[in-house]
Amino acid sequence: MEKIELSIAVLVLIGIIVSSSTMYYTSTVISNVSTVSSDVLKLAEAVANLTLTIGNFSTVSLEAIANLQAKLAAMEAALAKMTLAKKTLVVGTTDSVELTLDPAQAYDYFGWCILQQIAGTLISVKPGSTTGADFVPELAVSWNSSQDLTVWDFDLRQGVTFWDGTEFNATHVKYSFDRAIALITKIPEGAPAGLGYGDIINHTEDLSKYKVRFHLNFPFSPFMGILACRASAIVEPTYAPIAQINHTSGDPRASTPVAFVGPYFLSEWKRVAGRDIEIKLDKNPFYWNATSQYPKTEHIIFRFYSDAPTLRLAVEAGDVDMAFRHISPTDVLDLEQNPNFKVWWGTGAFVQYLCFQTKRAPFNDTRVRVAIAAALNRSSVCKTVFLDLAQPLYSIIPPEMLGHTEAFKKLGDANYTFTRSLLAPLGYNETHKLTFDLWYESSGHYPMSAEQALLYKGALDASGVMQVTLKSAEWASYKTNRDSEIMDAFVYGWYPDYVDPDDYSFLYWASWLHTNYSNATQLALYNEARATTNLTRRTELYAQIDNIAVEQCSVVPVYVSGAWAVTMPNVDGIYLDITQDMRYWLIYLK
Amino acid sequence: MGLRSYIVTRILLTIPTLLLLLSMVFLVMRVLPGDPVALHFEKKAEPWQLEDMRRKLGLDKPLWAQYADYIWGLIDINYILAYGYPNLGKSMQTFEEVGGQIFSAFPATLELAIYSMIIASVMGILLGVVASKSYNSILDHLIRGFGTVTYAVPVFFLGIIFQLVFGVFLRWLPTGLRIRASVAPPTGLTIILSMPSGGFISNFLLSSIAGLTISAICIALLKVKHVKFRFKGFAISLAVFIIAWVVYAYVSWYFVLKGKLQIATGLYTIDSLLEANPVKFVESVKALLLPSLTLGIILSGIFVRLTRTNMLETLRLDFVTAAKARGLRESTVTYGYALRNAFLPILTMLGLQFAMLLGGAILTETTFSWPGLGRYIVQRIYFRDYTAIQGAVVMFGLFVTLVSLVVDILYAYFDPRIRL
Repeated sequence: MEKIELSIAVLVLIGIIVSSSTMYYTSTVISNVSTVSSDVLKLAEAVANLTLTIGNFSTVSLEAIANLQAKLAAMEAALAKMTLAKKTLVVGTTDSVELTLDPAQAYDYFGWCILQQIAGTLISVKPGSTTGADFVPELAVSWNSSQDLTVWDFDLRQGVTFWDGTEFNATHVKYSFDRAIALITKIPEGAPAGLGYGDIINHTEDLSKYKVRFHLNFPFSPFMGILACRASAIVEPTYAPIAQINHTSGDPRASTPVAFVGPYFLSEWKRVAGRDIEIKLDKNPFYWNATSQYPKTEHIIFRFYSDAPTLRLAVEAGDVDMAFRHISPTDVLDLEQNPNFKVWWGTGAFVQYLCFQTKRAPFNDTRVRVAIAAALNRSSVCKTVFLDLAQPLYSIIPPEMLGHTEAFKKLGDANYTFTRSLLAPLGYNETHKLTFDLWYESSGHYPMSAEQALLYKGALDASGVMQVTLKSAEWASYKTNRDSEIMDAFVYGWYPDYVDPDDYSFLYWASWLHTNYSNATQLALYNEARATTNLTRRTELYAQIDNIAVEQCSVVPVYVSGAWAVTMPNVDGIYLDITQDMRYWLIYLK
Repeated sequence: MGLRSYIVTRILLTIPTLLLLLSMVFLVMRVLPGDPVALHFEKKAEPWQLEDMRRKLGLDKPLWAQYADYIWGLIDINYILAYGYPNLGKSMQTFEEVGGQIFSAFPATLELAIYSMIIASVMGILLGVVASKSYNSILDHLIRGFGTVTYAVPVFFLGIIFQLVFGVFLRWLPTGLRIRASVAPPTGLTIILSMPSGGFISNFLLSSIAGLTISAICIALLKVKHVKFRFKGFAISLAVFIIAWVVYAYVSWYFVLKGKLQIATGLYTIDSLLEANPVKFVESVKALLLPSLTLGIILSGIFVRLTRTNMLETLRLDFVTAAKARGLRESTVTYGYALRNAFLPILTMLGLQFAMLLGGAILTETTFSWPGLGRYIVQRIYFRDYTAIQGAVVMFGLFVTLVSLVVDILYAYFDPRIRL
């Protein structure tokens, strides 16, 4: 390069540096000038006020001043205490929001968990509920349904405001549900599509400013459960276009369409390569229940760990105040022994079961399926694999929930005499064993699958008349195998959308399991249970479904998971109930 | 072949290499059992839903059309101009731009790679040199043992030991993440431009007047120094000057419109410095320490052995003896003469290892919850996210070719014979 070119280039550089600093300087000066001028105005105003106050002051007695001083001192002390108390809860988890925080699409545990903290639903399940059917008012204060359960009315809470001061009213409810249903065709993988909003809800009507009415297509008793789930969150029309979902992007306010009428608002949401790296929730000053001191902790920070062992180490190193989902059973029992940590136990809702391909031999014969169900050893699986943190399950409906029975107990556990007696007439014995492949998922989609599978095989082989070969596939292949019906016997799991037996009982004949099993009587009983709110009657109906299931064994329940969280000893206010919801606004730091 | 034509050929050769790589991944991903369409539906899915999703993911087209679309997207210049990276398609899992996702995960990987590479090479080479100099002594045996053990020990094992010792027992360092859980990630340098925007023209004028005045003064000062004036050079320089000026004025106007100028590298150690936040800097270095030490120590084994073997050979050569005989200092002979000659194979290994690290250190990233490319690729393989895997492999291929290109050029620098 010529010398002159070089020097010109240097000059350009110098020029750019100098001019940018000039620009920066002028901009600061200009902004300072504007601030100063507004400050001067404020000062003048303050001076005027001060003279007025001084004028009034002469009338105030010395006693009042002393009084004021005492009050001030008390306030100061209280303030000092408040600042000392921890206001931020750091939560470690291995979860991540899957796609979005738009209730019209989000359909994953953690997405729903965050939505629960920032969004409002009409009703919710009472914290600590054992049945999952005790609903408490949220944005709706009272409700009733027509006799035939197709018309549901809700009176809305008054005086709830959005961020911009807009008052929450019936049009917002109608808009939220209309939008969720309108988006079903566009977002077939979303929660409203999965939960069947389009089939259940005919239309929504805003009767008056604070009254909303749902017209259903058929009688549907679990409707309350649907309304309490996050797909029913109220959205803010400004951020929720009717024809498209709101995706993750930069500004936290713009990245979720939900109206921040919940206890928190989303103040930070950073993702890297489609996974969360930081979520921060801040106290929502507009929360309708703020007067009752909710939320109790001002800031919640979520931090994302790659797996259970690293999360456990983070807890032990004191990097997080709380770890929820997923710490392994061994680790949690270990941490329970340590006085530096507190372990919280709760009810689980995840159920695991065995499925049989009923269209092909040998499992087209009911006796074979029943024989296998009788040979299973549930308690050994729960004890050995889950260290008794999971419970044996004898009905597809988890314990404590409406309609739960012990129906499968009839077949027994490791009941080999019964198994042999069933298989003997079919020609299976010690020399001619029943041989089949048992499939399990191998990429960690369900907890401890491989360990479980070994125990299933052990229990079945121990009958002496069966020879099980274990086969596995990771989740993507496993699902393809399920759909193409190449697995004769396989392990599957279910996580509920809403806490109601209605969301469990159908698993016996669910078409998407591809077991090719159907039963008209069970279906009729199921539909009858949907159409009544009479709890005794519903309990009876689900029990009848279970009784048929035991005879058919198309799907055999094995266990229901437990739930646990690990915290530092100063954390309190955790409810781990059947809803599986973590209500962060109830948690406080001592 | 001259160095220049050699480099040009190398660059041209990367295109068919990448194409071949891409085609293989494209086919292999689709041969694997598992269907990204079905994976979007955990539970029930109606046929119309599956059909919709298939269309949404672009999997309804024949295979050749998908392939052609993908290649066409890669060379779409408009897209590159708009986004700053090639069109790698939309993720089949999250429907976001794959290019964007890879670039958001890349800084984490890069940061870890740089620091662990520094640790590995410094430690490995120094130990290797020391071992070769004290050949067959106890020290040599110890270092050789160290090399073998670190080469054999699995990353997650050493990582967990470190986490236990420094995180759980001593509580000096965080056990994972890129920064301590209670500290917010650094945002980089943010300049708030609160200047009332007078638009492009006024900003141009304002900055031009300031800049030109200064430049004029500088030119005047130069004149004094009797620089020879050449018209052609001056004209070209002036044109460059004016273009640069317009671009600069436009960019500054754009940022004034946005009201904010953000400079962030994605490397936490650098961003925290840009943010002038010492707390965040210390925290990000602390968070980096364990993963980069783990990776560095494990990688150093290879360099120890390589350096030692090569140094042993070189130290026996005549020119080393000659150098010693001439009375040069021991360290000059070892590091200036012998090491430089023994360096070529080490350099190759350095390049290869670095390129490998850029693809993501999967085990380290998992052990330390490090949100980089390695974890991204594993997650996406489980989901059969075809586009994401293709994108990641293309990028990985690009890194490897780039790094080996750099290594080749450095080769030429270290060994003049190659330039012949």
